[in-house]
Amino acid sequence: MRKKLMAITLVTVMALTLLAGCGKKTSDSQSKKNDRAAKNTLAVGVAQDFDSLDPDHMTVAGTKEILFNVFEGLVKPNSEGEIVPAVASEVEKSEDGKTYTFTLREGVTFHNGDPVEMEDVIYSINRRRDGKDAAAQLDALSVIKKIKGDGNKLVITLSEPSNEFLAFIMNAYIIPADYKDLETAPIGTGPYKFVSRKIQDSLVLEKYADYWGEGGSIDKVTFKVLEKAEALITGLQSGALDVVPHLSSDQIAQIDKSDFDIMEGNMNLVQALYLNNAKKPFDDIRVRQALCYAIDKQMVIDTGFDGYGTPLGTSMFPSFGKYYDESLTDYYKPDIKKAKALLKEAGYPNGFKMTITVPSNYTPHVNAATILAEILKEVGITATLEPIDMNTWLDKVYDKRQFQTTITGLTSDNMTARKLLDRFGSTKAFGDGDKRIVGNNFTNYSNKDYDKILKKALAATDDEEQTELYRQLERNLTENAANVYLQDMADLVATRKGLSGLTFYPIYVLDISTLKWEK
Amino acid sequence: MMKYVLKRIGMLVVTMLLVSFLTFLAFELISGDPARSMLGTNAPSYQVDALRHELGLDQPFFLRYFKWLTGFFSGDLGISYSYRQPVWDLIGSKLMITILLSLISFALIVIISIPMGIFSYQWGGGPFEWIRTSFNQLCMAIPPFFTGILLSYVFGILFRVFSPGDFPDLYEEPGAAFLHLFFGAICLSIPRIAMTTRMMRSTIVSEMNKAYVRTAISRGNDRRSVLVTHVLKNSLTSVVSFLGQTMAEILAATIVVEQVLGIPGLGRFLVLSIAQRDYPVVQAIVVILAFWVVLAGTLADLINQSIDPRLRLGGDLA
Amino acid sequence: MKKKMNRYLVVGLIITGIILAITLIGVFWTPYSPTAMKYGRFQPPSPSHIFGTDNFGRDIFSRVLKGTGTTLSIALATVAIGAVAGTTIGAVTGYFGGVIDELLMRLNDVLTAFPSILLALLIISLVGPGKKYNVVLALGLIFIPSFARVTRTAFASLRDMNYITSARLMGAGSGRILFVHMLPNVLRILLPAITIGFNNAVLAEASMSFLGIGVTPPDASLGYMLSEAQGMLKAGPWYAIFTGLSIILLVFGVGLIGEGLQAENREVV
Repeated sequence: MRKKLMAITLVTVMALTLLAGCGKKTSDSQSKKNDRAAKNTLAVGVAQDFDSLDPDHMTVAGTKEILFNVFEGLVKPNSEGEIVPAVASEVEKSEDGKTYTFTLREGVTFHNGDPVEMEDVIYSINRRRDGKDAAAQLDALSVIKKIKGDGNKLVITLSEPSNEFLAFIMNAYIIPADYKDLETAPIGTGPYKFVSRKIQDSLVLEKYADYWGEGGSIDKVTFKVLEKAEALITGLQSGALDVVPHLSSDQIAQIDKSDFDIMEGNMNLVQALYLNNAKKPFDDIRVRQALCYAIDKQMVIDTGFDGYGTPLGTSMFPSFGKYYDESLTDYYKPDIKKAKALLKEAGYPNGFKMTITVPSNYTPHVNAATILAEILKEVGITATLEPIDMNTWLDKVYDKRQFQTTITGLTSDNMTARKLLDRFGSTKAFGDGDKRIVGNNFTNYSNKDYDKILKKALAATDDEEQTELYRQLERNLTENAANVYLQDMADLVATRKGLSGLTFYPIYVLDISTLKWEK
Repeated sequence: MMKYVLKRIGMLVVTMLLVSFLTFLAFELISGDPARSMLGTNAPSYQVDALRHELGLDQPFFLRYFKWLTGFFSGDLGISYSYRQPVWDLIGSKLMITILLSLISFALIVIISIPMGIFSYQWGGGPFEWIRTSFNQLCMAIPPFFTGILLSYVFGILFRVFSPGDFPDLYEEPGAAFLHLFFGAICLSIPRIAMTTRMMRSTIVSEMNKAYVRTAISRGNDRRSVLVTHVLKNSLTSVVSFLGQTMAEILAATIVVEQVLGIPGLGRFLVLSIAQRDYPVVQAIVVILAFWVVLAGTLADLINQSIDPRLRLGGDLA
Repeated sequence: MKKKMNRYLVVGLIITGIILAITLIGVFWTPYSPTAMKYGRFQPPSPSHIFGTDNFGRDIFSRVLKGTGTTLSIALATVAIGAVAGTTIGAVTGYFGGVIDELLMRLNDVLTAFPSILLALLIISLVGPGKKYNVVLALGLIFIPSFARVTRTAFASLRDMNYITSARLMGAGSGRILFVHMLPNVLRILLPAITIGFNNAVLAEASMSFLGIGVTPPDASLGYMLSEAQGMLKAGPWYAIFTGLSIILLVFGVGLIGEGLQAENREVV
């Protein structure tokens, strides 16, 4: 019997050694990376799998971020936050703002080599507009009254003038008419074309040689899906990856800085402690202001984010340039005494108990909540964390508004500042549920002045006037302490030394065409 | 015998139907709307409603269940909400990985613990028994995910023998993939090897105390030969049903281990799909996993029936 | 023989006792505040912070003390639910048999085959998030089938024993027979099952935290801490190691008690 056991042990040990041997060969990829620079290819690590690759069905931000390189609309955004011509070479807007005339660019071809025809363009816009194929993406193309092709001119007539029209048409990606295989073999007009995809594993893009514009420098890019935080770091260190976007400060701390450059951009979101303004005690402005005075944003950023991040004082972030009012950031200077006095005035001299609901899979929000709970102790407020699954959060917090306070990051997925502001219009003024014409006001913020200004802002056709009104809205949110605004989180990107050209956009995209290996 | 087999298969079918119905019911009750989950916070509610309609979520509950059931029996598992591809195309390769992981773990358990059980009986007693038993208890106390974390740290980060989270392609790099799975199997099997060894030993002990064994030994038979000829054979039934249960438990534990080591199997896909509320995928995986669990139990029972026909009289109490 | 068997019980009780004592002290006093974030990020273990500090600069030892308390109370409550409900089901099915038996056992099968994450999510949705007993309820439900199975066999085997038959003949009601005559005997099997169940509950709670579906208790449990620690293996491996070892020690102690109890049983038989 003892012999048998020994034999088994021996066999196991031998098998292990053998396997370890096999493993080493494949994981020793230090040489692979030099290979890639020489071959002019690139490996990018992403933390979340891509969903549908059909431009009208994709909903995951990470998918849109990457397929930005594959698809283009009539116009597209640049890194300055401007909208520039793409498949159209020229855009003309009529005096009354109701008619747009797009001139199709000469020599634009799809990745299968076919030229882009008027028929394709109209098909693409209609596909997104009528919602039959793309219920997910109805967007605001409903203002379109008529689409007409005339030679190489596309004339779109709107039912009413819209400042946001170009920002919306930008997302109507041009695809070949009646093309059926978008899910498995997407075809667009961008600088990179789709090669292959393995679900929950990888996506490969290749430079499109016949691109109408300048095009990219890197020949082939592999996006590797690694859902575990450590796997991305290990991937960088072992040489399997060259670029990883959206890293946390904890992850950055584990990267060897002699091999990598750390680039810091902004995530372009408003991370805040969002308060349910309809629930006691947060219906009292003094309580909300007390919270603002009690919470030291910079301390949150230092403790939880290693100092990376831009403090915010209202529902807008710096990338929005002219709309962003920086002076509001320090409106409430951290002041524990003042916070306590306000609480006393509001009838809570000994503080109160509150719950912070956070989506459990978003570590930055959970971390921020953990720190806030600690900070709030100083003014006598006992905050309990309630981490819940993201979908429960969407349902209970976002849709049904059954919460006290929550931490999340609000974004604007097209280049208009509107989405960050219109959601705070009250139910009384803007309706609820299906009838609601602006974003979901899950914080139940209700302020008459705000509603008045918002109505004016939405109706404004003059850009300058609208900008001024937006800034007034921001000030209103800050003065009334609608929420405790924290920060625009830092977007930390690790790139291998020797790779240059990384460009940050004011929207969530990773532009591959600007990247290149230095020779 | 035939009748019994049929009865067990009938029970299996009923259980599966109940599981699939319950899963469907769970979707109704679990908060979180797939459409909202896909569209995120920026989408207005009319868009969410349009997507709900597109996905067929606005149809009555029983109609949807009935559609799913008829689809299932004609081999159609539906279309994934988030990937927009047939569910079966998505889970095929993942099923393979989970089966491999479970089989390797199971093999480790059987190969190591059965000889160990006999061994520990043979060498039972003595001054070191309590050390061995305590060690056994200690092994049972090691949670698979903790082993997973330790292995990731030691072999993944320190020695870089494998990279947790980056699973090699099963067909392109079978060696590396197998190694990755092997680490997962170690996590899964340590506590279960301890349990099976212990169980094996106590079965032999109680069997050895039975009258027929005592008689055999008193008749001058060698203890060891009695052990081999009678006792082991008679212990087999309890061992088989125990292993049947173990198989089911391994499967449940793969969910966590796949998560820790980043093995792209069914369990991890299940967790991801639940998080995305991709119900067609969840439904398919739950049914597959449940089938496996119930099948393991049924097979163990049937094997026992054929080993020891007396059990049939006792119904399915065993 | 007897003395040797009891060694498990003694050692197990000592380990568990020490853990309990430390945890109790932890309720009133910890070396540092478990939530204060001022001791420096990722400090390795040192005389002043024997388990080191985490990513926020919190003292891990103090957090482990608190966390053990949370884990213990969750596991105890879970086992209580599982044992009471499971034994009741086991008694009814084992004693009466027949259709109820068949029905409840099928339900048991279904519950076993149903993934526990889904079950946990279901309970959160029904009860509403943020309730402290969410975790306990979800885990408790998961533990009912195993208790039911164990006790059912015991009740069924006692059913035809002479003393039960005579009690029945003397006109004792089913309730009286089940609880007065049978339960004490079943307890012998139940006790070790409870210790095993307790251990499984500790591990299951940790697994749930690990999957991050939100059955997380308001105060960090050991399992929750371990899942946090996993993302920081490179910067602070001590966090995962000490938290994991604490879980192992807790489970090991109770496991030995179980071993001891079973040994006692063998003696009695």
